[in-house]
Amino acid sequence: MGDPKEITTLQATTIIISTIIGVGVLPLPLFAVRAGETGAPLVTLLGILLAATGLFILTYLGMRHPQKTIITYSHDIIGKWLGRFCSIFVIVFFYILTGLAAREFGEVVVSAVLRETPLEVTVLVMLLLACISCRNNINVFSYIHNFYVPIILAPGLIIVAFSLKNSNLLYLRPIIGNNFQDMAAGTLTISALFQGAFIITLIIPSMKKPAKALKASFWGIFVSGGLYLLIVIATVSVFGSEEIKQIFWPTLELARTTSLPGNILQRLDVIFLAVWVTAVFTTLFSSYYLTIHSIKELCNLKDHKMLTYFILPFVFIFAMLPQNIVQMYKVIQDIGRAGLVITFLYPGLLLLIDVFKGWRKKRSVVQKS
Amino acid sequence: MLYKNRNVQLFLLSVLLLPILSSCWDSQEIDERANVLAIGIDVADKQEEKSEDEIAHLRDFSITNNEIFKLTAQIAIPGRIPLGPEQTGGKEKPVLVVQVVGHTIEDAIINLQQEVANELFLGHLRIIVLNEKVAKQGTQRFNDFLRRNPEIRRTASLVVSKESAATYLKVSPELERIPSLYLADMVDNLTALGKFPPSFIGLFWTILSSKGQDAYLPYFRLKKGDNLELNGLAYFKGDKMVGKTNPADIGIFMSVKGIHRGGYGAFVKVPGTNEVVVVKAMSRRTKIKVSLKDGKPHASIKISYESTIDEKGNPKLLVSNSSLLKKVEKQASKDVVASTKKFIKRTQRVKSDVFGFGEHFRAKLPHFWNKKIGTKEKWEDYYQQLTFDLQVETHIHRVGMKAK
Repeated sequence: MGDPKEITTLQATTIIISTIIGVGVLPLPLFAVRAGETGAPLVTLLGILLAATGLFILTYLGMRHPQKTIITYSHDIIGKWLGRFCSIFVIVFFYILTGLAAREFGEVVVSAVLRETPLEVTVLVMLLLACISCRNNINVFSYIHNFYVPIILAPGLIIVAFSLKNSNLLYLRPIIGNNFQDMAAGTLTISALFQGAFIITLIIPSMKKPAKALKASFWGIFVSGGLYLLIVIATVSVFGSEEIKQIFWPTLELARTTSLPGNILQRLDVIFLAVWVTAVFTTLFSSYYLTIHSIKELCNLKDHKMLTYFILPFVFIFAMLPQNIVQMYKVIQDIGRAGLVITFLYPGLLLLIDVFKGWRKKRSVVQKS
Repeated sequence: MLYKNRNVQLFLLSVLLLPILSSCWDSQEIDERANVLAIGIDVADKQEEKSEDEIAHLRDFSITNNEIFKLTAQIAIPGRIPLGPEQTGGKEKPVLVVQVVGHTIEDAIINLQQEVANELFLGHLRIIVLNEKVAKQGTQRFNDFLRRNPEIRRTASLVVSKESAATYLKVSPELERIPSLYLADMVDNLTALGKFPPSFIGLFWTILSSKGQDAYLPYFRLKKGDNLELNGLAYFKGDKMVGKTNPADIGIFMSVKGIHRGGYGAFVKVPGTNEVVVVKAMSRRTKIKVSLKDGKPHASIKISYESTIDEKGNPKLLVSNSSLLKKVEKQASKDVVASTKKFIKRTQRVKSDVFGFGEHFRAKLPHFWNKKIGTKEKWEDYYQQLTFDLQVETHIHRVGMKAK
């Protein structure tokens, strides 16, 4: 909190964008298609809307307490001990999310690119990278995100644009899927991919104008959600829902099928993977940062730097827990859905209590006068 | 302080540099790699079956439903592949052809590796040739390995051959030094020329997976002097090839499928005379509407051609008046309707919906689809009862540079 308040609205937006876009892009069309078949774009859109609602609640909460994060203002709202108790869940959740993201990254790299390199090495290198970067203060944190956003967005859009020549619009119909129960579950899974947006709670206290946080959240989720939606539409229209069910990472496969005209590049997965590593890094960076910062605030520590290396082995061990890729995706889906309680319901509840308290206070002030 | 010591500082610095300078874990020199450029798959005869050694499995291990096949691989010889523009000279063969047998592709690849010193690399695999007999037995058993292996490109070509696939990998065409690249380029260029609809292995899989359509592949045949010819279109029912068309029908197929780029010319008789002109399709537009007639699927197909006249047979015939062109247009449309009908009926007999009418029903009539059909097999039965009407229009806007 000793840091100067320097984050602009644009920087806040870019932090949200680059945090959301991460490992999730690869299996995203698979999750969406499993839930909604041809209705996958609709499922994605619903997921985005749900995630946006959660994010707006959290942002609004933050704007009511512009000096504090969810860890600290929860003390004010629901009391010191209950607040601490809930904060532990938030921390554990983002700790798990960091580990799983690192593992998912390693799993993709090991099965698609570097097949000889041990999984442990790729995961550890990525975690170390995030860990070292986490020693910076929040302003440097925002510069790093700001710097990478164009590199993350542009290739995604290029791949979507060039893949459209292979597309078949019939694959997108019927737009409304067939099974509504599955679609509802899928909506939850998709919106779980946006949980990184929780980082906004950490940014608001350092923003120049916390009042503009809502604008930042809106554009953040608009841009990242838009890219996600485009990717789902592109993959479904190129592969069709039945083929997507057969592939773990349809987005990667889309990059492999797409070539730049004129044989400049016969497959785009090379660029895509390079960019994707960056995207994963920024996501990991955010969730790691959120974890250690929250611990710092929970324990009333002055500095977070010491914690970075301390947490590392725990994250690494957790990342190594799932036995194989199939189990890992099961865990990711389950934890993601369960996490909505923390990223959606918990802030919602806090907001309700906070608004109610504010209303009561106002009334008592009126009565006194 | 210890770390103010210059030697200690240097030591720490070199430790830091260690992970950066150690390079890639997966590094592999390019000349130590056996780049497989093409694969051909044939049925193996009894004699060859015995030649398989006990590598991936023992001889008495029974692999059900997987008949043994012969895999021929073309491996690039390091240093002999010409880069850039074709260099003259150099009589040495740039590729090595190896033959193995196996029950599955992975089985065959394991057997192949046992015979080749360098590690096999499939990232440059451009083309897979399936012999007609293998294609008729079913392709599904090859797909699993190809999908699972990250080295395989989705844009590689898959073709069906009339002769044994092994001969395709041994031919040495004059136009290109590397046989497989010639073959692969041929498939790509024919698509660009409008001679064949887009076809690559990823697309083949996509069509194979989707419920309302059946796959197609180019069908090649060997001509004199190591030349290859695109001899038709192989159509599939599920993963099994069930027939092939003649080359002229590829144009018909592309028009029903709605491929914009035209490329085929056909002789058209000028009505009222004995003369013929060659009408070549430039582009086409296709609209397919589907409906239910008494609970039975019905498709209305509307094709409109943009064509040119490329040649006429007799100098006395004058194509300089508009009314004659109209007559030619009409006759051309009539011809297309007749051959399209014949083609569709033929695929209906073998239950192979290569045109993808089923996808239209799935997309546009989801209620009917979910209730009555739902699976690929069911649709194939329904496809036999599909009725259709055809409307073809031809517009001749150009006649070339000759006035008469």
